[in-house]
Amino acid sequence: MEELFTYYDMFATKGDEYLIIIAVLVLMIVFWKFLYMKPY
Amino acid sequence: MAGEKLETVDIVEEKAEGPSIKSFGNFIDFLKKELKPKGNIATPFNIISLPIMLLGYVFIVLRLAYGLGKPVTNLTQEFPWGLWIGFDVVTGVAFAGGGYVLCFIVYVLRAEKYHPIIRATVLNAFLAYLFYAGAIVLDIGRWWNIYNPMVGNSFGVNAVMFLVAWHFFLYMLAALIEFSPTIAEWLGMRRVRKILGALTLGAVIFGITLSTLHQSGLGALMMMAKSKIHPLWYTNFIPILYFVSSIFAGLSLTIFEGSISHKVFGPQIDEEHHKSYDDIVVGLARICALTMFGYFFLKAILLVHEHAVPYLDSTMGFWYLFEVIGFVLVPCFMFVSGAQQKNLSTIKFAAVLTIVGIILNRLNYTFIAYNWYVPLSERYWPAPMELVITASIILSEVWAFRWMVNRMPVLRKPPAWAIEKEH
Repeated sequence: MEELFTYYDMFATKGDEYLIIIAVLVLMIVFWKFLYMKPY
Repeated sequence: MAGEKLETVDIVEEKAEGPSIKSFGNFIDFLKKELKPKGNIATPFNIISLPIMLLGYVFIVLRLAYGLGKPVTNLTQEFPWGLWIGFDVVTGVAFAGGGYVLCFIVYVLRAEKYHPIIRATVLNAFLAYLFYAGAIVLDIGRWWNIYNPMVGNSFGVNAVMFLVAWHFFLYMLAALIEFSPTIAEWLGMRRVRKILGALTLGAVIFGITLSTLHQSGLGALMMMAKSKIHPLWYTNFIPILYFVSSIFAGLSLTIFEGSISHKVFGPQIDEEHHKSYDDIVVGLARICALTMFGYFFLKAILLVHEHAVPYLDSTMGFWYLFEVIGFVLVPCFMFVSGAQQKNLSTIKFAAVLTIVGIILNRLNYTFIAYNWYVPLSERYWPAPMELVITASIILSEVWAFRWMVNRMPVLRKPPAWAIEKEH
């Protein structure tokens, strides 16, 4: 029963999440270029 | 000899122009002719599939008569959802997502490059919803109440299932309207074809709108089971994950089904469409790669957001990584590699891996990562009858698909009178 009332600090991971999102946006540009790159 | 030639020309002209149906009697005669098998009946596929289907129908009657539970299924109070919900309904509907995605690409984004495969994909989506959503009748305990969400007698508006039921029903109608011009061309009904063609765009937009909600709605079904689903899989964003994964699930099945259809129904497809097929597959592979890239990082962010990273160092953690890396990241890069080098074999293998990954993901939510703490000896495993019934539903859909493709202008060109009406 206690499990249903577990509270955790959702702001604790915000820093990590922002970093991941910035990394995703940068990697998206790289990925897009890679996807449309002609093979050697 | 001259008589034989005239008969061949008549048949070709009839196929080109459509049958001449002027009365109900004509229609019945035409239908009787079309119901006759075309070609060899005793093919290996027919010999293997027909007994499985017939056995499955017998087991379906047993299930309806004797209810859920042994011996028909291994479902219990702890595992109320098994292979039928997990595979037939949830996974099957995800695979049917190719219909709404491709309709969005062709009719909204106006990417005409993908137009040659739209009819086959919409047919696939319609049949998938018809058979797999129809298979819900087998899943619910009191199957005679299946119409309650539609007609009242306790609508059940508080349940996500109410939304899912209505959406499945409405999407089936939308897909039927999208496919109906093909049926009108098959029947030679020119005026009806014109009216139905005018309804296509509206049906497409309606279908896409519905799909966004019921694809995510299937994920929302899991939201109440927070204490039962492993923390690595459970997140408040399950509906978003289900919706995003339905995009590449549907397109992967489109690639897989398209490659089989091109081999089996190759003679129906004209040279121009054969040549454009490789380009179409490469384009679909790029879309899958992009979506899977986004999905992978969505999983990564949610892993951090839900404080679930410590759980990776466990048996279920390795299983989670096996699913996400082996069946999302690896096929993503295979799609990229295949698209770069225009290597269709790589793309097709990536599509198969993706399909397996989606099945794994949906079954994880339904009975593998669900009540994951239950000992192995007490876990749910599909009963033999469940497997046979699932196989018979899939094979029935394949038979229906084959019947329609062999008779209607799905892969072959529409009749000349209909072509100028397209778009």
